[in-house]
Amino acid sequence: MNDYAIELNGVCKSYRFFDLQNIALRLQRGTIMGLIGPNGAGKSTTIRILMGLVHQDRGEVNVLGHRMPEEQVSAKWDIGFASEDMRLYDSMTLGWHINFMKSIYASWDDAYAQLLLKRFGLRAEQKIKGISHGQRVKAALLLVFARRPKLLVLDEPTTGLDPVARHEILRELTAVMADEGRSILFSSHNTQDVEQISDQITFIDRGRIIDSMDKEVYLDRWRRLRLEVPAGIELPALPGVIGIQQTGRLAVAIANAFESHLPNAYENSGARVHAVENMTLEEIFVANVEHSREEVGA
Amino acid sequence: MKANVVLQLIWKDFQMNSRVIIFTLAGGVLALAILLIGGPTPLVIGTVFFFVAIIFCACLLPMQSIVNERKKQTLPFIMSLPVSSSRYGVAKLASNIGMFLALWLVLLGVGIYMILAQHVLPVGTIPMGLILMNFPLIGFCLITGTALVGESEGLATAAIAVVNSSYWLVWYLLVSHVPTLTRTWNGPVAVWSPAVFKTLGVELAVIVLIMGVTLYLESRKHSFI
Repeated sequence: MNDYAIELNGVCKSYRFFDLQNIALRLQRGTIMGLIGPNGAGKSTTIRILMGLVHQDRGEVNVLGHRMPEEQVSAKWDIGFASEDMRLYDSMTLGWHINFMKSIYASWDDAYAQLLLKRFGLRAEQKIKGISHGQRVKAALLLVFARRPKLLVLDEPTTGLDPVARHEILRELTAVMADEGRSILFSSHNTQDVEQISDQITFIDRGRIIDSMDKEVYLDRWRRLRLEVPAGIELPALPGVIGIQQTGRLAVAIANAFESHLPNAYENSGARVHAVENMTLEEIFVANVEHSREEVGA
Repeated sequence: MKANVVLQLIWKDFQMNSRVIIFTLAGGVLALAILLIGGPTPLVIGTVFFFVAIIFCACLLPMQSIVNERKKQTLPFIMSLPVSSSRYGVAKLASNIGMFLALWLVLLGVGIYMILAQHVLPVGTIPMGLILMNFPLIGFCLITGTALVGESEGLATAAIAVVNSSYWLVWYLLVSHVPTLTRTWNGPVAVWSPAVFKTLGVELAVIVLIMGVTLYLESRKHSFI
C-alpha cells in the first residue's frame, strides 16, 4: 500500500475551449487537502477525472491504489463523493435514500446515520423536494459520511450554504478525520472554509496547478511588507518577492518566500519598513493567481 | 460480501417508475375491456387506446428514468456509487426493458385471453397482433438507446417524434404489402406461417441490434457527466 490516497501524474485533458495541463497532485493518506481555484479553473474536471467519470487524455491517475478510470468500480467502494451539482431524488424521502445506500454498502453505519440526522436537523420521512438547499446538501453529505469511506472527495460542498450550515458541515468533516486513516480532498473557492480544515492547499488556475504545499508552510511563507520609499530611492528586486505596488512614497511588497532578512534588505536600500503582515489564505490565493497569470502572459 | 450494484440500480428504477407501469397497465386493460362492448366502434376505440397506452409508456419510461436523471442532476449521485458508465448502461437497459417488457407481456396476455376466452376478435388475429405489438417494443428500445447514448433531452424527444410518426407508416406498409400476413387474420385459427416467423425474426434482430449498438457506444464513452 502506498502512502498516497490520491496520485495524479502528468494528467492532461483537452476540451474545445479549456485544457487541463499536466496536473500533478498527491494527497497523503490521513490528511485533508483543499483544492482552491476560481470558477472554471479546472477543479471539477480534476475531481471528475480522479473519480473515473471523465477519462484523461494523458497521464496516470491512482486513487487508493487503483488505476483510474480502469479500476473505478473497485476504487469507488471506498470513496465518498459529493458535488455541488449533485441532487437526490426529489420524489423520494431521505429514508428511502438511506435504505438505498444501506442495500449497497456493507460498511453503512446506521447509528452514525441516526446521529447525523439529529445533528443536521433532518427527518428521514421527509421528501427531498420539501427541504431547503442547505438541508439537501446535508442530506447528501449524510449519505456519504455514514458509509464510512476511506476517502472523501467533495466538490464545492459548502457552496450556497448559510454560515451556520457551513459551520455544521465543516465541524462534521473535522470529526470524520478522527479516524486517522481517512483522507479528504475538498474543493472550494471559499478560502475561509479551506483554511479552517485543510492540512494541505493546492491552487489551480486556468487548468494548471500553480502551487501545492502544507497550509502552515503556505501561511508562513507569504507576507505583505508595507514600505515607505523616499524620493530618489528605487526598490531592489529581491528574491522571494513576487510583486510590488507603489503609489507615491508608499509601497506594498508581496513575498511568497519570506525570509527574516527581507525587511533588512529593504531598509539597507533606503526604504523604511512600516509593517510586516501575515496574509490570509484568500489574499495569498488572489496574489498567487495574479502572479501565475502574469508569468504565463509574459 | 459486496452488493450487486447493477441489481440495486435496476430495483431502484422499478421502485421509482412503478406508478407509470401501474397507470399504463390500468389504461391498457381498460382499453381491452372496451372491446367487450362489441361492435365496430368500440373495437376501433379499444384497439387505438390499447396501443396508445403502450406507446405512452414507451415514451415516458426512458424520459423519466434516463433523461430526467441527467436533467435533474441525480446522475452524479448514482455515478458516485461503485459503478462504471458501461455497467450503468447495462442497469438502465435492463431496468427499462424489464419494466416495459413486464407491462407488454401482461397486456399481451390479457389481449390473447380476450381473444381466446371472450372472443372479442377472431383467433386468426393473434399472429398479426403479436407482430404489431412488437413495433412499440422496437420503438421503445430505440428511444431508450437514444436517450442513454445521446445524453440529451432534444435527441430523445426527436427519437420519440420519429418513432411515433413511423408506427402508422410501418403498420400500413406491412398490412398492404405483405398479404400473406393478413390473409388469415379473420380465420378461426391462428396461422403461424413462414412469413409470420420471418417478420417476428426481423423484429427480434432489430431489437438485439439496437441493444448491442447502445451497449457498445455506452462502453466507449470518455466523459460521463
